[in-house]
Amino acid sequence: MTQRVLDVAALTEGTADSRSLIWWGNLAMLAIEGTMFAMAMATYLYLRSTNLDWPPSTVPKPDLLMPTINTVMLLLSCIPAFIIDRASITKNMLPIRICQALSIAVGLLFLYIQYAVMVPSLGYKWSSHAYGSVVWVIIGMHTLHMVAATGETALLFLYSLFKPVLKKHLLDFRCTAVYWYFVALVWVPFYFIIFIEPWMQRKGS
Amino acid sequence: MTELAVLPPDFAKEAAIMEKTWASKPGVIGWLSETGHKQIGLRYIVTAFLFFLAGGIEAALMRIQLLKPENHFLGPDAYNQIFTMHGSTMMFLFAVPIMEGFGVYLVPLMLGTHNVAFPKLNAFGYYIYLFGGLFLYTMFLLHAAPQAGWFSYVPLAGPQYSPGKGVDTWAQMITFTEVSGLVVAVELVVTTFKQRCPGMSLNRIPLFVWSMIVVSFMIIFAMPAVMIASGYLSLDRLVGTHLYNRSEGGDPLLYQHMFWFFGHPEVYIIFIPGLGFVSSILTAFTGRKIYGYTAMVSTLVVTAFLGFSVWVHHMFATGLPQLGESFFTAASLMIVLPTGVQIFCWIATIWSGRFRIATPVMYVIGFFLVFIVGGLTGVMLASIPIDWQVHDTYFVVAHFHYVLIGGALFPLFGAFHFWFPKWTGRMYSEVMGQISFWLLLIGFNVTFFPMHVLGLYGMPRRVYTYQPGMRWGNLNVLASAGAVFMALSVLTMIINFLVSRRAGRVAGANPWNADTLEWSLPSPPPVYNYLHVPTVSGLNAVWDAAPDQPYVTGMRFDRREILITRVLDAEPDHTEQLPGHSPWPFVLSCTMCIGLWGAIFFAWWFTIGAVLSGIALIGWFWPSDRELEDHILREKGELGGLELGMPEPVREEMP
Ligand code: HEM
Ligand SMILES: [Cu+2]
Repeated sequence: MTQRVLDVAALTEGTADSRSLIWWGNLAMLAIEGTMFAMAMATYLYLRSTNLDWPPSTVPKPDLLMPTINTVMLLLSCIPAFIIDRASITKNMLPIRICQALSIAVGLLFLYIQYAVMVPSLGYKWSSHAYGSVVWVIIGMHTLHMVAATGETALLFLYSLFKPVLKKHLLDFRCTAVYWYFVALVWVPFYFIIFIEPWMQRKGS
Repeated sequence: MTELAVLPPDFAKEAAIMEKTWASKPGVIGWLSETGHKQIGLRYIVTAFLFFLAGGIEAALMRIQLLKPENHFLGPDAYNQIFTMHGSTMMFLFAVPIMEGFGVYLVPLMLGTHNVAFPKLNAFGYYIYLFGGLFLYTMFLLHAAPQAGWFSYVPLAGPQYSPGKGVDTWAQMITFTEVSGLVVAVELVVTTFKQRCPGMSLNRIPLFVWSMIVVSFMIIFAMPAVMIASGYLSLDRLVGTHLYNRSEGGDPLLYQHMFWFFGHPEVYIIFIPGLGFVSSILTAFTGRKIYGYTAMVSTLVVTAFLGFSVWVHHMFATGLPQLGESFFTAASLMIVLPTGVQIFCWIATIWSGRFRIATPVMYVIGFFLVFIVGGLTGVMLASIPIDWQVHDTYFVVAHFHYVLIGGALFPLFGAFHFWFPKWTGRMYSEVMGQISFWLLLIGFNVTFFPMHVLGLYGMPRRVYTYQPGMRWGNLNVLASAGAVFMALSVLTMIINFLVSRRAGRVAGANPWNADTLEWSLPSPPPVYNYLHVPTVSGLNAVWDAAPDQPYVTGMRFDRREILITRVLDAEPDHTEQLPGHSPWPFVLSCTMCIGLWGAIFFAWWFTIGAVLSGIALIGWFWPSDRELEDHILREKGELGGLELGMPEPVREEMP
């Protein structure tokens, strides 16, 4: 009897797009992290609903300038991320390198402003009250993600300077770009609750 | 890709190469570097089973203590520790991980692929689970066990009422086991969506795999909640946040909401794989396609969605608004519908098939009996007046043991017997299997049925002793006597397996004439699973295979190459090379232990652990030279897909 076979020798090895395993793994990870941020948001809203005085009257109205600049800068950094993503499809290394360098700079600057300017001017600590706790938790969570995104970009940047850039690295570039969008966009609602909400009419006043 | 060829079936050379490509490495370092899914899956199963024995010993200690009124076998403190350890062990270290272990072992086999999608991550998940469990037990032996119950409610578990390191240990164990759960969930989702063998379109995925998919999605959305909840608990205890501290604006109920947002789905995460086992076993033992496949899959999905909308029924006694409570009652009652549909589909399957009896199906029947009783008391508890009456009594203890043991343990033991021949290549002893089944069924009911009555008589749960005048003594004696039978059952099963592993009858590839792909492999399966990726032409892959069912050729044997197919129709799409064995997952889990365990004692350890973990991650992702070389050659187009000479393909149309 003859044996039928399905010959796949002509298939390509590895892809740098949404068909690959890593891409799906990345999305699954974002689903998990997105749920975590949603939980942090839920915590904020829940505590807001159970407290009569929110934000607590001792919380000063935050200075808006630097946090706003920082947030806008982070949002704009989605553009280099987008360019990295597109340029990886055609393996156009120059824009990739430039935009990676740019992303790293934005990441570091964001973290610097966050911790040198913004956090010290909050006027409360995590241990001051529950409001302080949840705000610090949110900032801490986002910082961890920001460090991860910046570190990942930096490692890929350094690696690709010294070693050959292969298909799987292009895939890494693209996944990092998607991760970057996530980290940038997820910050926006938190910007509003941390910096804008205290300016609005306070609950209880 | 529908080229067909005729090929001489002489595979010895290929098999030898594949053996070498996928082989484990020798020695201790080799053992710690292992990334094969069968190895890791079995490690999960064995480890979780050992934790089950530990949890069982704790249960036995409790039953001894409750044997008679005013007993002083365990003091109140010890009793609190023991029931907390028992509950936490059974839920976090046994029930969920053992199901994950089955998923890790079976899913790639059932899909016809060589390994899970992210083998290193998979190994990491195992170590992080193992370390989480060992940490809890180390602290237990050092007399620093948690005492606040398996759900560690605040304020009892907060800094004020639970001094010491017990609750911190508990919270860290939660983080570890949930990370492991999430890792497995991601693995299984990606593996199932991308690595099914050609022909296995969505409507041909075995029901067990569907159950693991549904569970994985539930894990992805439920487990982050408990990680955050227990993370807040640690922060409140260790660095002085006030998230649960009412006097500073926090809220203890926040903890309950987040815990049960996870906790109810958790119960489903535990028993939905059980439903998968039941479907696998019933298909094999009735010799027919499961009745109502589509209904089965859709009710699984519906159950998962409903499972996320009923968490508040655990909080009926907290005085939430009336309207909200009514909503959650209605939602809880609705869960009966999908479960009912499943049970009727199984009954129809049994009815219309040629039903054979052996230990695995006996456990399935045990599952029906016990789980239905648990479901009935669940419906009772969903009505608020009854819940208020029996809240925190032994009625609840009876209810959830009926659900957990009925819904998870019976199918699980059935699965042990069912797949034992596949793992070991030998048959267990049928006589001993049936003895252990009857011991469990009788022992279980004798232990837990009286607890319903005890609960109605008002015996509260989590009390270390009771007064003679309460007249609870006799029923407690009965319950403890039943526990002896359960212990004997487990003992019989263990002896059966240990003996049969060496001395059992040789099983052959498919002793049950079962339908899923793993039964087409020798028992135990070779390291690489399939020499050639198979193809399937029906839901019951083995039964529906044509005599000359095509298999896939043109893949490399000397690399860990896997076939990626499309999500919906499983048409071949491209190939990918999986990473090999690596010590880094183990190293990374060690550095995470440094950070997370250290943080319990001194916050800076967290930073140290994070830095070390960063270094471990770089090691993890650093490509080996061989990988690099391969990539470079491939980019230049100098390395084709084939190493071995294949005969010229003879083209034919695929039917
Ligand atoms: C094998 C036989 C078992 C026996 C004899 C047993 C016995 C008990 C007893 C007596 C308690 C109540 C303690 C109290 O409230 O004072 C208890 C609690 C509990 N059991 Fe079991 N159990 C068994 C198996 C299991 C299994 C398989 C699971 C889960 C898969 C489980 C999960 C739990 C949980 C979650 C609690 C609640 C712990 C707490 O109150 O924090 N048990 N068990
Ligand atoms: Cu529930």
